[in-house]
Amino acid sequence: MSVTTTRAGNDPEPVVAGSLARPHRIRRTRGRGPTSVSWGAYACAALLLVVFLFPLLYLLNTALKTPEAFVADPVGIVTDPQWGNFFQAWSQGNFGAYILNSVLYTLVGSAIGTFIALVMGFPVARGYIAGGRAWTVLFVLVLFLPNALITQFQLLLRLGLYDNRLGYILMVGVGVGIGPLLFSGFAKSIPYELDEAAALDGIGYWRYLFGFVFPLAKPALATVFILQAVWIWNEIILATVLLADPAKFPVTVGLYAFKGTYSNNWPLLAAATFIVAAPLIVGYIFIQRYLVNGVLGAVKG
Amino acid sequence: MAQTFPFPSRNPVRISFATGLIVLTVFGLVPAVAVFVVSFTDLRGLPYLPVNWVGFENYVSFFSPAKRADSMNALWNTVVFATVSTVAQILLALGVALLLNLRMRGRNFYRAVVFMPTVLGVTVTGLVWSLMFNVTGGPAATVLSWFGTSSAFFGDPQLALALVIIVQIWMVMGISVIIFLSGLQAIPAELYEVAAIDGASGWQRFRSVTVPLLAPSITANVLLGIVNALQSYQLTYVLTGPNNKSTQVLSLLIYVQGFGGKSGTTLSQSQGYAAAISIIQFLLVGVVTIIALWYLRRREAKL
Repeated sequence: MSVTTTRAGNDPEPVVAGSLARPHRIRRTRGRGPTSVSWGAYACAALLLVVFLFPLLYLLNTALKTPEAFVADPVGIVTDPQWGNFFQAWSQGNFGAYILNSVLYTLVGSAIGTFIALVMGFPVARGYIAGGRAWTVLFVLVLFLPNALITQFQLLLRLGLYDNRLGYILMVGVGVGIGPLLFSGFAKSIPYELDEAAALDGIGYWRYLFGFVFPLAKPALATVFILQAVWIWNEIILATVLLADPAKFPVTVGLYAFKGTYSNNWPLLAAATFIVAAPLIVGYIFIQRYLVNGVLGAVKG
Repeated sequence: MAQTFPFPSRNPVRISFATGLIVLTVFGLVPAVAVFVVSFTDLRGLPYLPVNWVGFENYVSFFSPAKRADSMNALWNTVVFATVSTVAQILLALGVALLLNLRMRGRNFYRAVVFMPTVLGVTVTGLVWSLMFNVTGGPAATVLSWFGTSSAFFGDPQLALALVIIVQIWMVMGISVIIFLSGLQAIPAELYEVAAIDGASGWQRFRSVTVPLLAPSITANVLLGIVNALQSYQLTYVLTGPNNKSTQVLSLLIYVQGFGGKSGTTLSQSQGYAAAISIIQFLLVGVVTIIALWYLRRREAKL
């Protein structure tokens, strides 16, 4: 977003006083050495881990109990793990289909959004399209649109795309407006001489855009893609409003519906929740670095 | 800024640009602009009913005695939710970012763990915390029982909104932490040395160097927080349902008015009325964002 400024970097006045640079503070802690402060920091970090991991461990613990064991002692550690809960939740909840739907919506929706960012952001950054700065203003405006739940529903209804996978995908594909703005900012870092050189070699615009700009811009496009993907993966209200057929539900709606049916059977519900969460956690371990960088890129851009 | 166009033909540029623009316009801009128009009509959820122009009736109705209780409740919940969650989230995220900026063993792991809820999503987060706050013997209830008390948690109108805010912070804090970490890493190390020589206390150093140099990150976090919090309702929807008065924010009121739920009023199911709420929410978000941006920019300039 454009809200960050570079003021911090070019401040001419050297700031006097000090900072909270921990290494110095550690060295200045007389007599006790670095271990004493580190110990406190590790204690805080341990607390943080408990806050963020305990809910998931408790979820797993619950998922492995029989309903009777859960009612008898909800917080006790499981003694007789019921792995069957997972199979039961999987077959009753139809989560395979929901997860596939979510994967489809997320991949295609994010791809559409990223494509829009590429084909709109690049020519605007270069001034290859008439209209100049008006387009940049438009890119900023799409970030601050009102909640359009009503009209999104009405539009798909009138286009015959209500309860239609394509309709939902197109709606969520443009749902994160930051792409074009982010990408037009990035495109400026690609040297204009490259455009000229490519054109001199007789390369057409499309081949240039998809064959040269695309590979060069992969980190920025990955950022756009990931920001959309996280949003679409978490989306629940639009899916509730725009899709009626349970066979088309994404996993967010599917799990919520499962909760409605089995709210009195926490172990089964916990098993279902864990089924949805586990692939995310495993996937997150692999894409964690890109995801974190993606958020950073979005903020710096 | 506009460079001369080096390629032989402009048509490919126009075609691909127009493709993107058409999709963005039809599915993004048209609904957004149409909300303004629809908010002045009595459009209903069922298709092919006649639509009439009603002027400001929906807006008047929002503040009318019949609806005022619901409207003001949702407005108030929205403001409380946005203010408390933004402020608390930023303070906590700053603390966590300072902690995770230390040279600790395994800090990448801690960072990854803090960011993880973003990936889990609202439904998983909502269910995990419903389980944590399970009234009959859940972990939170167990802790309370050690002190000889109990609580209905999400069922307690006094407490529900506070709990939703806590879960919201748990879910989205990771993003703020990452933004602050990037800001912290941009602070030049020389300043730390100057600080050591000057011998300022830890708090002075924090107040005079870290906070001013983090100002852009703080601005980014406040704006992200406000815009997200004023419009977020997915978590509230999962945790307490759309009709719980104690946690109903404007976005949920839009959903309930436009797509069912029981509100028991005459205009129920009027999507025109729901659109008017969208516009009121939009104005609220706009005004708050502009004020916050103006204030933060001014502070940044002063620091």
